Amino acid sequence: MNLKDRYAIVGIGYTPQGHIPERTSLSFHVEACVNAIADAGLKKEDIDGLICYRTFPSASNEGPLTPYLVAQHLGIAPTYLSQDANCSRSHLQHAIGVLESGLCKYVVLSYGHNAFSSDSMRRMQMERGADDPVFGHFGAAAGYALAARRAMHTFRTGPETWKHIAVGQRKWANLNPGATMVEHTMTSEDYYSARWIVEPFRLFDACLMTDGGRAIVITSAERARDLRHPPVLIMGMGQHNPSYDVHQATHLAGPTGAKKAGEMAFKMAGVTLNDIDACQIYDCFTYTVEITLQDYGFFGPGEGEDWFKGGTIEPGGRMPVNTSGGQLSEAYFMGLTPLSEAVMQLMGRCGKRQLGSTTNTQSPEIILCSDNGAILQTHSCIILRRS
Amino acid sequence: MGGYNKPLPKVNGDSREFWTGCKKHELKFQKCKACGHIRWPASMVCPMCHSQETQWIVARGKGKVYTFVVYHVAYHPGFEKDIPYVVADVELEEGPRLLTNIVGCRPDEVTCDMPVEVTWEDITEEFSLPKFKSV
Repeated sequence: MNLKDRYAIVGIGYTPQGHIPERTSLSFHVEACVNAIADAGLKKEDIDGLICYRTFPSASNEGPLTPYLVAQHLGIAPTYLSQDANCSRSHLQHAIGVLESGLCKYVVLSYGHNAFSSDSMRRMQMERGADDPVFGHFGAAAGYALAARRAMHTFRTGPETWKHIAVGQRKWANLNPGATMVEHTMTSEDYYSARWIVEPFRLFDACLMTDGGRAIVITSAERARDLRHPPVLIMGMGQHNPSYDVHQATHLAGPTGAKKAGEMAFKMAGVTLNDIDACQIYDCFTYTVEITLQDYGFFGPGEGEDWFKGGTIEPGGRMPVNTSGGQLSEAYFMGLTPLSEAVMQLMGRCGKRQLGSTTNTQSPEIILCSDNGAILQTHSCIILRRS
Repeated sequence: MGGYNKPLPKVNGDSREFWTGCKKHELKFQKCKACGHIRWPASMVCPMCHSQETQWIVARGKGKVYTFVVYHVAYHPGFEKDIPYVVADVELEEGPRLLTNIVGCRPDEVTCDMPVEVTWEDITEEFSLPKFKSV
């Protein structure tokens, strides 16, 4: 059964984002969902599937964030309800599975978190990895830093490569009025002068912690035709889950799950790298962008610095990457940061950062997206096209 | 030792033998009786062949640094005085890789593939931690 071009993303929901105190994670989920449903031109009664991204440990003044709670606050009783317990990134496959099976007609996928203003992330640091804290090991930054260090040992990479990613994405954020870092420019000198967090990562190698939410609506290509915006079609999807914990993983320097997931997605879409106009890559850390693009085949191991330098991914560049600013400079909403930006670009709704003549880049027909979870343990590749 | 203010191991049915060994300064891992694979973390079954037949062996405590990071931020107050400190993934000669600390040298002296050996840190009456130093 060929799923190519049979399902579409038809609506995007934004919320205020950045530093928004006094808001619960639930409130961001609900606001994002409401806005996505309205953006698609649908009513809440149309929504029969709700899939929520994982929740981090709730803030100490907020109860567990379940999909029941999100559905309750949306006033819906879906026929399919799901939430990932950790970080595996199968959401789009879930959505298409329940659409293809006939269980649902319109599925909302949502994420919301008060990461910046609440104590949620501090609670998360302490809970991660049963005995890791015994040795002073906490959180995802250090996990990805372990992977990045191994990559530095295995092939030529490091801050000289990663600075191009941090600086390039910041230039996109400077064109995005919604981006947390819209008013903050960054030079290579700024990148190098930032403090270390967990070496080899400096502050600007790490994604933002964001208060906010994001949601998208997925339906069949057929139903999509009657809705408000030109639908964005899902051409290809692939997923691979190496699963091994960073402590035992042998894929830290690649090939990560991106390799097999990418091959599956390109095969389904029937296109090659030459057909890709831009990329929206899950960028929890700069190194994640490098290893993902490397595993997709844009360059060989150690060739990243040469590939990135000269503004390749920036406005005016030959392969724009993370055109909202991404998670490094716009806002962190797990896979919905890259996915929603790809959809907005393909719908032509991106204002000053719009790909095409506005930013002296290729007019986007096909955009390659990734989603990635845990410490490189799960990877989804999604290829989207304009209808 | 009464003033130890860092997180302690959370011992469970899978990890008890490991931590009991550490108290005796023995680095113990499960070896599959069927296929010989030495595994970590401890588990009910061998991930290679799914046999449940297992025996605990004592590792020599020698290996090399697979990868490492240098913490410049204390995410827990117990580590404030240690900054900058090294968290490493050490690959033992027997095969398992263990998350640990590299001690006894400056962080900028640590490299991937650096040969290391275990050194024990007795932190409380119940627990000793396997840490590693350059050889």
